[in-house]
Amino acid sequence: MTYKLVNDMEGNLSSIKYTYDDGEFKIIPLDPANTDYQAYLEWIAEGNTPEEAD
Amino acid sequence: MASIKLKGDTSGELTIQAPSVAGTNTLNLPASSGTLATTAQASIGMKNLIINGDMRVAQRGTSASGITTYGYYTVDKMFTNLSLGTWTISQDTDVPSGQGFANSLKLDCTTSASLSASSQVGIDQRLEGQNLQHLKFGTANAESLTVSFWVKSNKTGTYTTEHFILDDSRSISNTFTINSADTWEKKTITVVGDTVGVIDNDNGPGMVIKIWLAAGSDWTSGTLNTSWSTRTNANVVSSSNVNIADSTSNYFNITGVQLEVGTEATPFEHRPYDMEYQRCLRYYQQEGHSLNGLAGPKTGPMGMWYSTSEVYGPIYFQTEMRAAPTISSPTVTSGYRFHRAGAATNMDNFATSFNTIDRISCYYRRASLSPTGVAGQACWTYFPEAGAKIIFDAEL
Repeated sequence: MTYKLVNDMEGNLSSIKYTYDDGEFKIIPLDPANTDYQAYLEWIAEGNTPEEAD
Repeated sequence: MASIKLKGDTSGELTIQAPSVAGTNTLNLPASSGTLATTAQASIGMKNLIINGDMRVAQRGTSASGITTYGYYTVDKMFTNLSLGTWTISQDTDVPSGQGFANSLKLDCTTSASLSASSQVGIDQRLEGQNLQHLKFGTANAESLTVSFWVKSNKTGTYTTEHFILDDSRSISNTFTINSADTWEKKTITVVGDTVGVIDNDNGPGMVIKIWLAAGSDWTSGTLNTSWSTRTNANVVSSSNVNIADSTSNYFNITGVQLEVGTEATPFEHRPYDMEYQRCLRYYQQEGHSLNGLAGPKTGPMGMWYSTSEVYGPIYFQTEMRAAPTISSPTVTSGYRFHRAGAATNMDNFATSFNTIDRISCYYRRASLSPTGVAGQACWTYFPEAGAKIIFDAEL
């Protein structure tokens, strides 16, 4: 699995793309109340780094 | 003013008092046993704090097989917390007779397993903190809670319930017994309010109501925690708890789950389908082919050709969601289509990304489209194939 940053049309960070091993993906909003975003923040706190946005 | 006073066995007493006005009035009591509701109860209408307690809403589908890990499967709002065995989880039509239910949630063991220390199998519902403020937890006026539900299983024996306040990591556990195999039984458990633990007034998980169907020694090795205290894993589950995963003959059905303020289990609150469905949409919703009982292809959001190979468009959610949702859309061969002027572009995936997601809307971007369109023209999404859908998930 991978995390990748997603920018909006203005080039600002907008969401996080989580890609599963089989290629399917989900888009995670930057909302502290979202459980997937909470998991992403925990992953970052463990010292990991996401891929940069395109 | 005339009155009748009934004295209890100890110091309690009840006064029935006639009004101090002229005229004759008749109060007819129901010809059945039960408990009368009074204005002293915190809530008479909308009393059930559980969402979808009658298991009638199942947006994700009616059956899921090969389940080996935790998640939401089939019936909305019912989280399956499992790390043991393999399961088929379904929205079942087996219900207790004469109670007005149409559905139950069923866990059916298809591969058995022995307990390891960390094993667990359970069903829970996570309740939003801002919907629990009237419980007055963390104060001297904390309200008692009563949870009631119907269960049926081949596996007789002891099970554990847990009320868990996440914000302050406090919990209380109780046990119930399934006495007769393959027989619907109603269970009722009352707990006092927690005068210490505070439930935050926000959209996060304020309390979890959980039924433990199996637990390893990490959860059972201590002394069962039957009064509110800081949660210690070893004290959460009874050491006598059954292991529902120990045979492929095992199953567990549940319906009519009700959590209400007070010390009495009143009759289940049968709410209209549209109300229950709308409440579920706050946490999970989807649009696409053959969903929610609507068979066949469906239309989706509008879009605009930003360039000849790229489409952007807004999506407005069906109701405001608890939090900004995680959004996904599975790969389906030619499952998605943009209708445009005089032609169509088919796709295996709907969007490249979703952006600016909040609780009510977002916009999608789809790049690398072929055949191409005309920049500036509008298009609209179509879901022509089964399985094509967009999922919005804001579960607790």
